Amino acid sequence: MKQSLIIVYITLVLLIAAAFLAGGSHLVAEGLTLSIKSAGRSAIMLIASFVITGQLNVLLTPDVLEKWLKRFNGLKAIVVSAAAGGLFPGGPFIYYPFIYSFKDKNLPFYVFISFLFGKQVYDFARLPMEITLVSWDLTLIRYLITLPIPILAGLWAKRFFGDKETYMLIMKAGDKDDSNNDHS
Amino acid sequence: MTQTTIILSIAGLTLIIINAKKTGRHYEGLKAGLKQLIDTGPLIIGAFLLAGMIEVLIPSEFVQNWLSREAGIKGVIFGSLGGMVLGIGPYAFFPVVSSIWASGAGLGTLVSLIAGWCLLNLSRMSYEAAFFGVKFFIRKLIYSIPLSLAAGFIAYLLEISIM
Repeated sequence: MKQSLIIVYITLVLLIAAAFLAGGSHLVAEGLTLSIKSAGRSAIMLIASFVITGQLNVLLTPDVLEKWLKRFNGLKAIVVSAAAGGLFPGGPFIYYPFIYSFKDKNLPFYVFISFLFGKQVYDFARLPMEITLVSWDLTLIRYLITLPIPILAGLWAKRFFGDKETYMLIMKAGDKDDSNNDHS
Repeated sequence: MTQTTIILSIAGLTLIIINAKKTGRHYEGLKAGLKQLIDTGPLIIGAFLLAGMIEVLIPSEFVQNWLSREAGIKGVIFGSLGGMVLGIGPYAFFPVVSSIWASGAGLGTLVSLIAGWCLLNLSRMSYEAAFFGVKFFIRKLIYSIPLSLAAGFIAYLLEISIM
């Protein structure tokens, strides 16, 4: 969050300076007017999207999702784990430790891959935000086009690694490149 | 816009009711949402300001040559690359996408940009490398590039065939 804030405000200062140099205070004012209009149009939708996100955070706990992941195998497991990834609430500092914990749960590598891709591609908590700030039609097209990606990634992992557990593959990768995997 | 507001409000109310009946923790959910709104408020304001500036600053020639429907595959590649390097969160990213769209970018570029941001985002490097190893991060990145480009390309084909 802090990193995003720094990037956004530094870029904003640079762009305001660029707008001033390119078109003077008139162009800066035009940009600010567009921003205010856009923010005003999105205000109620933003509040609604945060209500949705807050409720999802409480409804879908990691425990609930973990139960789903252990219930299935094969293609069903891939679809369920991709959906569970999309439903998993929270930012990277919450979901990476959760995904890393797969190694202790004897879950296959393909479940790990489809969950990771599901989180990154679907992220349903982000959906109201995407609809609010971009538009519902573009969001719908984007979701429909990218819908198969986590399932394809899971199928690919199953094809190449079979039912090997996450533990074996992740620890192997960590040992070889000597990364810091000590997050237990 | 009004339609979207109504749909989102209904979805929010429905979730509050479900949460109240199933867990009784709907107030906790409202508090969590409010906290998130307050936490991300400065970022959202900054992102809206940034989006407005991008909209007035992007040269129309650049949009025409690199981002529009007419840019074709160039736009798709440019979109995925943009998504890869835009290391910002969703609250900042989506207003930027909106401003790029308003400036005249094509569907292929936009879908490729969002897919690139979802799949290739370099800002996740620190997490993925730390938890799963550098090799895993690099492999995942390499395998994800064609997926992101394919998403943009499908959107581009859709755009030229039906729009």
